[in-house]
Parts: sequence; C-alpha cells; structure tokens
Amino acid sequence: MFRRSLLALLVLTPFASSADPKPTFTAEQVKFYTDSVSPILKANCLKCHGDNPKKLKGEFDLRTRAAVLKGGESGTGAVPRKPKESLLVQAVAHTKKGYEMPPGNKLKPDEISTITKWVELGLPVPPDALGEATAEHPKKKEPTPEQKAYWAYQPVKRPTPPGGGHPVDAFLDAKLATKNLTPGSIADKATLVRRAYYDLTGLPPTPEQIDAYVNDADPKAWEKLIDTLLASPQYGEKWGRYWLDVVRFAETNGYERDGPKANAWRYRDYVIRSFNTDKPYNRFVQEQIAGDELPKAHPDDSDPVVATGYYRLGVWDDEPADPLQSKFDGYDDIVSITGQAFLGMTLNCARCHDHKGDPLFAEDYYKMVAFFRDIREHSNDRNLKTSSNQTDITPFEQRKLYEKDLAERQERTVELTKQIVAIEDEAIKKMPAEDQRASEGVDRPLVVKKVPMFLDEAKKKQYSGLKRQVEDLKRKPSPHQELALSVNNCDPTPPATFVNVRGNPHANGAEVKPGFPEVLGFTEPTIPPATKGAKSSGRRTVLANWLTDPKNPLTARVMMNRIWQWHFGKGLVPTANDFGKLGEQPTHPELLDWLAAEFVDGGWTLKRMHKLMMTSSAYRRSSAAIASNMKADPANTYLWRFNMRRLTAEEVRDSILAASGELNLSKLGGPSMYPKLSAEVLAGISHTDKKAHWPDSPKDEQNRRSVYAFVKRSIQVPLLVNHDQADPDNSCPVRYTTTVPTQALGMLNGEFTNEQAELLAKRLAKDAGPDVAKQVARGIRLTTGRVPDSAEVAKDVAFIDALRTKHTLSEAKAMQQYTLLLLNANEFVYVD
Amino acid sequence: MSQFCGRTRREMLWQTGGAFTGLALTGMLSRDGFFNAAAASEARSYVSPLAAKKPMIPAKAKAVIFLFMYGGPSHIDTFDEKPKMVGMDGKTVEVKTFGRGGHKNQGRIVEPRWKFKNYGQCGKRVSDLFPNVGQCVDDIAFVHSMYADSPIHGSAMLMMNSGKLLSGSPCMGSWVTYGLGSENENLPGFVVMLDKTGGPISGPKNWSSGYMPASYQGVTLKASGTPIFDLAPPPGVTREQQRQLLDRLKEKNDEHMKSRADNSELAARIASYELAFKMQQHAPEAVDFSKESKQTLELYGIEGPTKDRTADFGRKCLLARRLVERGVRFVQIYSGGAHNDDNWDAHSDMERNHNKHAGNTDLPIAGLLKDLKRQGLLDSTIVIWGGEFGRQPTAEYAQGSGRDHNSYAFTMWLAGGGIKGGVSVGETDELGSMPVGDKFHVKNLHATVLSQMGLDPNKLSYFYGGLDQKLVGVEGADPIKGII
Repeated sequence: MFRRSLLALLVLTPFASSADPKPTFTAEQVKFYTDSVSPILKANCLKCHGDNPKKLKGEFDLRTRAAVLKGGESGTGAVPRKPKESLLVQAVAHTKKGYEMPPGNKLKPDEISTITKWVELGLPVPPDALGEATAEHPKKKEPTPEQKAYWAYQPVKRPTPPGGGHPVDAFLDAKLATKNLTPGSIADKATLVRRAYYDLTGLPPTPEQIDAYVNDADPKAWEKLIDTLLASPQYGEKWGRYWLDVVRFAETNGYERDGPKANAWRYRDYVIRSFNTDKPYNRFVQEQIAGDELPKAHPDDSDPVVATGYYRLGVWDDEPADPLQSKFDGYDDIVSITGQAFLGMTLNCARCHDHKGDPLFAEDYYKMVAFFRDIREHSNDRNLKTSSNQTDITPFEQRKLYEKDLAERQERTVELTKQIVAIEDEAIKKMPAEDQRASEGVDRPLVVKKVPMFLDEAKKKQYSGLKRQVEDLKRKPSPHQELALSVNNCDPTPPATFVNVRGNPHANGAEVKPGFPEVLGFTEPTIPPATKGAKSSGRRTVLANWLTDPKNPLTARVMMNRIWQWHFGKGLVPTANDFGKLGEQPTHPELLDWLAAEFVDGGWTLKRMHKLMMTSSAYRRSSAAIASNMKADPANTYLWRFNMRRLTAEEVRDSILAASGELNLSKLGGPSMYPKLSAEVLAGISHTDKKAHWPDSPKDEQNRRSVYAFVKRSIQVPLLVNHDQADPDNSCPVRYTTTVPTQALGMLNGEFTNEQAELLAKRLAKDAGPDVAKQVARGIRLTTGRVPDSAEVAKDVAFIDALRTKHTLSEAKAMQQYTLLLLNANEFVYVD
Repeated sequence: MSQFCGRTRREMLWQTGGAFTGLALTGMLSRDGFFNAAAASEARSYVSPLAAKKPMIPAKAKAVIFLFMYGGPSHIDTFDEKPKMVGMDGKTVEVKTFGRGGHKNQGRIVEPRWKFKNYGQCGKRVSDLFPNVGQCVDDIAFVHSMYADSPIHGSAMLMMNSGKLLSGSPCMGSWVTYGLGSENENLPGFVVMLDKTGGPISGPKNWSSGYMPASYQGVTLKASGTPIFDLAPPPGVTREQQRQLLDRLKEKNDEHMKSRADNSELAARIASYELAFKMQQHAPEAVDFSKESKQTLELYGIEGPTKDRTADFGRKCLLARRLVERGVRFVQIYSGGAHNDDNWDAHSDMERNHNKHAGNTDLPIAGLLKDLKRQGLLDSTIVIWGGEFGRQPTAEYAQGSGRDHNSYAFTMWLAGGGIKGGVSVGETDELGSMPVGDKFHVKNLHATVLSQMGLDPNKLSYFYGGLDQKLVGVEGADPIKGII
C-alpha cells in the first residue's frame, strides 16, 4: 500500500525537491508519520536533536521537515525519496561509518525500515511540522569585521615608548603611574647576581662568582654579567629546556611498548645549540617546520633536518584500534602544537566543530592539516630509503668511512646470500615437482617459504642463522653513520585533504587546500609544483615562510611573550599558548607590540632581547612587598616588584648537584643519561626487564644536568615529576608550582638527596677545614649565596651539637643531617 | 597549596559556574588577585589543593575503590552466562570480531569452561570462577553491555582510566580528587596499588594527572612494609632525630619568610614538611593490620586455607577499606601486572589464566564487599570491578582455548555508593560478542561514578589547550540510569 502511494507520489510530483516550500501529503502519509515515525524520533532521537533547540548535537534538528532536509554540521539530513542518499537513513541503518545513530543503541530493524519508508515517501509530516524552508547550503563561514578587529590579529605596529629612558620601563612605569602603584626599589647586588644566574643558566652562582659581581664597581658590571652568562653554554641548556616544554619533547612513543624514538636527543641538542648560537628565531621556526626542504648552509649542515624532529616528538600508538583515526590524531598533534607554539592559536579546537571562542573554523583547521599532509606517519621502519622518520646526517668526511663500511657489508651480504641460496636450492630439489618449477620463476619467494620444512635440524639452524645475519647487516647502523629523528621520504604529491565532519576522519566533507586561518586575512598561498625527485611537497616551506613573514601578526608577539614570561614569571599575555578570546588579555599590549617590533627589526635574535629585558629597572626590582601596592595589585600584574619563584624541577636537581660539587658540566649534549631509580619506582612499569628500559648510567653521566635525563613517557624521575616537570604528552606553556607532602618526603628521605647531602658534608670539610662553624658558614654560602651572621651560624652549630649529644650521631652523620637540612630549606629552592 | 604560579584564572578555576566553594579555591583566588588584600591575608595560611570540597550536586558516595582486572577478564566465563554456547565447543561460526589479531569474520567457538549457578535473592547466575563474589550479588549491579573504543591494551587502559585513547589526560582518580579533594590530609587522596608482577602497560600514565597539576596524580601505595615511596627516613635516622631536623628547618624557613610574609607559597612549603611528618606516622598505621581481628583477616583471605593465593590481593583490599575509612577519596587496585599471563590476558589457555587470577581475587573481593557492608561503609563507597575490555567468544589461535580481546562488549560491575543491588543491565548476543539493545560506553561508567560522587560529569571541567576538558569528553555522557 505504501509502495503504491510512493509510486503515485513519484509520478505526480517528480520535481518536488527539498527546496519546495510547500509540499503536500495525503492524510494517510501524515498518519504514517504521526503513528509510526514520530514515536521513533521522540523515543530515540529528539533528546539530542530537538528537545533542547539551543543544544542541538551536530546542529541537527529533527523537529521539522525543513530542519531535517537542511541538516546540520554533516550536511543535508535527508534527500526526499532517496533513502540511500539520505544521511538520516545511513545513520540509523549504520551504513556510514562514523555516523552510527543513536549512539550506543541501534534501532530495531522494523524501526529502521519505518524511517527508510518515511524518506521514500518524501518525508511526509503534518502542516505544523513542515517548518520554514531554508537555503540548502549554509553560507560559507566568514569571520565578522568585529572578529577580525581583535587585537592579536592586527599587524604589529611599533608604538612610541611613553617616556624617555629604558623603553621597557617607560611602558611599565606609565601603567604603574595610572594605577597609583609605587615601583619597588632596585634589589641589592647579591640578590641580582643569584637571580641572573638562575634566570640565564638555571644554576646558582658560586660564592666566587657572587663576589666577583658584588665587588665589581664598573657601572657596566650588570651588562657584563648578562653578556658573560649569555655566552656560557649553560644558557642554552636552561633556555632550550623551555622550548622543549612547548614542543612536548620526549624520547619514547608511549603506549604498550613505549618504544624509543631513536636519536631524539639530536633534536634536544639542536634546540640547545640554537639558543647558544643565538640562531635568529625566524630561522629556528623555518628549520623546525621545513628544515628538510631548506637549503643547507654548508654540505654538512645537519641542523635543518634535525630540527624537523619537531614533528616526531608526540605520542604514537604502534597498534591503533582505528588506523585512520590514529593517522589523523597524528596530524592533530602537529596542528595543535604548531598552532599553539608559534601562533598562540588553539586551532585544535576547530577539529570537530568551529572554535567556541575564536573565529577559527573547521576549514581553517583542515587547511592547516593540508600543509602537513606530505609527512608520512611515524613508523618503526629503519630502512633509510623508506623510513618516515630517520635521516642520514653523516658528515662528508665520516661518510667515506661509512661507505667503506657499507661496501664491506655489501660484500658480506653477497657472500651470505650465496650460502643461503645454496641451502635453498638443495631443499627445493626435495620438493614436489610443481614447487621446483615455480622456484625458477617469480614465485621463488613463495617456494622459499617452505624451505625449512625440507631441512634437517642442523641445516635448519644454519639456514635461519644465515638469514638472521643478513637481516642484522641490513638493520644495524654503521658505527660511522649518524642518524637524526626527523621527517624523511615525505610524499611529494600528498593526497587530497577534506574537512572531517565532526572531526571524524571516516566522514569526509568538503575538500580543502593548504591555507592560512581566514581571520588573519592573508591571500591563500600557491604551492609550487614539486620538482622531479623531490622528497617532499614543498608545502611546509610555504607555511614556514608565512609563519616568519614580518607581517604575520602572531609569531613575533607570541615568542616575545614567552621570553618575557620566562624572565618575569608571567607573560604579558598570561596564556602563552592561547592569544585568543578564551585566553587572557594582555596586561601591557603596547609593550608587547614594541618588543615584537624590536625583535623583528633586530633580526629575530634572542640574546639581544634578553639583555634588553634584563637591563630594565623592572627586572632589577626587589621582590619585597609594598603594603600600599599589595592592596591594589596583590598579584603584581603591573610589575611593581619582581616575582619571587621556586626553582624548576631541573633547577632543583641541578642545584643539589652543584652544591655537593658533583655537577658534571663538562659534557654538552649527546645521548641522554638515566638517573638512578629505585626498585619501587621501576616496579610501576609493566616491562619485566626493567634494566633494559631504564639502565642506570655511570655516576658521572648521571651527574650531568637534568636536561640530559632521558625522557621516557612511561617512567618518570620522582624528584623531577614531583617538582612539576612538564608532562611530555602535551605542550606545556607554563609550569605549575605545586607543593605537596610527597615532595617533602622525597627531599627528606630520598636516596638522591641523602647521597648528595653526604657528598656536600664531605665537601664542606674539605673546603672549610675541621671547624664546624666554618663548615656551617660555607654550607649556607653554597646553598643560598649568602654570608650568614654569627648568630645564625651559632644556632646551626647548636643543632649539629644536639644531634651529636642527644641523638648520639657521629660528627660526620650529624653534619650530613645538617647538609640535608640545607638542601631542604625554602631559601635553597626559592629565588628572590 | 597548589599555587598555579603564572597560571590564569580560567586555567585554575573550575568551570562550574561557582558551584565550588572551599578553602583551596580561596587560596588560589587570593594568589591571583581575585580578592582584596584583607581576604587574601586570611587565605594566606596553608591550603592544600586536596582540601575537601563540597560536591557540586547531592552525593551518594564519598569514596571509590576500583578493582582493575588488568588484561581483560572474559565476561562470558564470569558474569555473563551464555547457555547457548554449551556444546558448541570447536564449532566454527560466523562472528565479527576485532582484537589484537585484527578484524575477523568467523572463528572457532571456545565454550565457556566454567559452570554457572544461581546466587542471592536476585538469582543472578555467576560462574564457578567467583563463588564468593557470587554471595554478594544482591549488592551488585552488573553492566553487561559495556563497550570501549579500542581492543588494544595500551590505548584501552588509557580509555578506562582517563576516558581517552590518547595519552596525556588526567585519570578518573585525578578528576575525583580535583573535584572533591580528600578528607584526610595525612594521606594521599588518590592511591594506586600495583600487582606484585609489575605495573600495567604505560605505567604511571594510568594514574597520571595529565595536564592538571601533579598534586592530583595517583600515589602508588604498598600494602605491606613502607607503604609510600620515600616515606621512611633512611636507615639509621630516627623519628626524633628527624623531628629535630624539621624544627631547625622550620626556624630557618620562618626566618627566611619574615621579610617575605606575603608569599603564601613559602608558608605552603613549610606546612608540607609538617604534613609529610604526619604522613610518616599515619600511613604506616593504615597498613598496620595488627588490630584487625583474625575473622577479618580470614574474610579477606589474608589468613586461612587459601592465604598462599589470596593474601596478596586480600591485603590490598583490606588496606583499601582502611584507607576509605580514613577519608581517602579514590583507591585503585590492580589484579594482574606486566604482560601476558601475569594478568587476565588469556590468549592461550583460558582455564590456566582465569583460574589463577580469579582464584587469587575472588575471596578478597567478596571479603571487601562484606566488610564494607558490615562496617556501614558500603553505602558511601562505590566498588568497581572490571578490566579494560572483555574477551571474544572464539579462539584466537588454531590450537588452545585462548580468547582475543573484545571491546565491543564486556561486563563490569559496581556495588555500593548508591548503586542498586541485585540488578543487571544490558545484554549481549548469544555468544557475548556484541551488545543487544542498550549499550554503555566507558564514558557512561565514568559519568555514573562522578555523579554518584556528587560531581556533574557534564560540568566538571578543566580548561586546557583552549577547551573546557572533561573526563567524559566534550560531547558529554549520561550516567547509567538503570543501576542508580
């Protein structure tokens, strides 16, 4: 019966379309809707698609016919009389992956056929459920003029400082004056020297270094100190670590095997080296984004390709439940980091829907994905001809050795292969005739698979041994060969990129080309065609050039804000990874712009900017409170004083080693070291062979700076993680400062601090001789930089005496408890 | 005590429309200049980030004990009886499976190896693997149509613990302590006890606080000896000696703070040493079972004829009760660790594997439920049992009875904390391969736990990476209504 009326409808109104504003239906059809369709929709669908019109899932409304036809985020909801083409039917029948509806509960077969019939009938409804006809395709989304006018999207214009003197102070002081805040006094020299050392090198100054500065009467002493510290290799070790936080640096993939990312340390060294050599930031960005496509500065210049290790630092699931999803999760990782690290844009929020706060649309997100589509997925493939993530960077001279190596290897492989073939031929002779025959042609590999069945035990062993040797030769890197974690063997002609509807890679929407976020108003790029033999698409070079285009409103601002934050404790925009509306607004927008302009005009070099910030009075102010200011601006938003801070996780560990005299500063870079972990900590990992996953390094290696500690996703060093080390799975723009009792337990009772306390005690005896008071004074000096007064020393000596008399400790043990106390003091882990 | 230095208000505040009040919030606000100086000075004293907070919505439960059967226990061999499979052993059937071995369309049936019996007033049928848990079925709600997004351990573990397949998000215990704090500041709020064979895959990622501060991460606890890492002073150092050290340390820190009185971080750090000292006293007391009666120890299988097998898990269960009693918010106990048959991952021999793991845990789990009940704690404590997924009805290999992973359908059960007893929701097909009718995602389980704890799963959020992140994801999820 329905069939008949359907046919009638088709014949009578063959051209009725969804655009038809007033379709008419028979009473019978309407009754079908009211009796059969409507109850299904009410019971199963309207909860998310109609009951709450303000919160429609996927913007899809099922209340009216017009709304169904219009559809939601995924496009047209139904095509009248064409159930197979109708998303609604595909969704309830589960014939389109990613759209299975209702979520978790498939409709009963008869319910599905009712919905199908309804569409076949042209979606009849009573007049009150017709709804208003709307345009079939929503208009292309565009940012409004208001959205475009947002401060962060405006070009950087260099403002004139509102006063003379140091430009930084001119901007800050003007604001302090309007807020009626009194700027604090300049800190004393002893405070400043400790502040500068920790700030630029992450290490405490030695007493001698303190004295050298304090006693330097040269009016240029402060500038000289800054220059010296910026020139020390420890500067890069400290500042490189900041960048590693932002780009989620880790050396393993995470998940079940948590396998190593071979040669990830080269990226870490590249970052440290870039800071130390004051590599212009625009170049630093370009190398990370497109180093593999950039010309080399000289034939052995491996920096650019090592820099592309940037893409390989994220988590990678080597056995994903949904490979396509995983592939696009990989792109999401890259887009998230690139957006946040360089642009302060949370583009990642536009993966599934348009951004909730900023004018960033799903198209913007997928246009960005398209830039990276030539990067092939991470894999364990170590063959350099095909690997997506290892590149040979062996220097030319060394390559000669390595090529000799290769030739020898080649020779050996030929020899082994001969032996293998001989055994195979022997076995093939014992096989049935058809196999023998097949072995003479292209099917030989298939036949060869059966070979072991035709060998005796001894031969079988020999055969597999030979094959293993050949495999080993293929796989084993030559000792002369240097490899870098990087992108490699990219796709010169990447596949098309589509908007993934609701972020679902199984649901392709419109195709997009590589392009920039619409709101920034740049002309869409043209991608030059890939040259013959190219190993990548050239898209990323276009992106890199755009990121570092002086007209890009975000790149310089975002980096200057980070540098400011790392000096002053809080960014001018406190949300360093998010310059959007959901982030915080700048406290000093003009200063930020002035810094950004100065940065770019000065050739994007950082050391100059460090010095500029550090020579301001604002940087040199005391951290002491001023009562009147505390009322008006307790959070020090306007920088009337310097922000006191706790040492970072790495600084805590490095400072302990520095105090005990054990810190090994001689080795810069190279493969990571493994600080000793207790059996209890290792018990937390699933791997049975704990040592294979965390081999203790030799002592002098362990005593290297914490930036060189291996970053394994599934094993953390308690001392570091308890002091808020960055979590490597996400970009970390700002470290937390949390204080919990388990920190205190580790610092008081942990093996590391107790060992170091013992060594510090020995050092004091060596440095200060047998006099306990002198040892105490030296201990305080080493751990705080301060020369203690006699009263303080006397009290500490009394403490040591009490341990000896009341608790009958030996002199050495008592002194060890005292040095442990020094390492636990607030003054040791806080910098004014 | 969490100071969120340099953090923004948005990133540190609960995005709940001010549903939360409480000391920790006051402390953080004052640091960020939210309040005037007078209010700030009141909040200057030590405030733990784990200070107890009021629930957002009326709470049924105060604590969670999650018994994590790592590796994936077979639902059809435990609580989801499949009578039609009896007699079908070895038959090849058409069935869509997806496990470690990839997608398959048919397989050889492995008939459940254990008999099922009626238990309790509700008559729930439970297999012979869990005769003791069987006695508790009137307090248990079974969810038979659970499903997850991955049949691979690594990502499935992360999903069960953090709601996401991708690494880097806070775990359920972190969310609960973030939302509610802990009622005992002398103990960690979120504790994890591992199997003696090792941690699960991904190790600390399973109790990580992800993008939240480290104060919300799980602390691993041992049920014997020194329970917390670095809790005991090193050999040769006495408590009195350490007290002397702390006294002098406090004097020095007070001296240092004199000219920096406005900095609440310094006060927090001073207080944290005192707390650590108290923790040294209270944590060992929690693992000191000497005052527990013989009958209690037997109830958990710590003593008695099965103790060689059950004492280990039993101690953890008893410790869980003692922790909950002391106000700890979230306790997770792993049955199974490391790889392969060290956990419930029965790929080769169902009987050998499940007899071992069920045999080690059945009595202790029943003991825990009974003990919680008689102590009056079950009403306010949610006990969760289950793994990261279930197992397939068919064999994985040509030989043997091993089953591959099944994330399409599996069983989890909950008890206590306002969860209905003696009910079963959701069904699977005749083979237990797929759900039939209503099915429940891991997120629904998470939503159920959060809402019983007084946290609105669709509102409890943390602003990170430009998004209001939630345990149940941006799309949200509803609690499983049939069991609450």
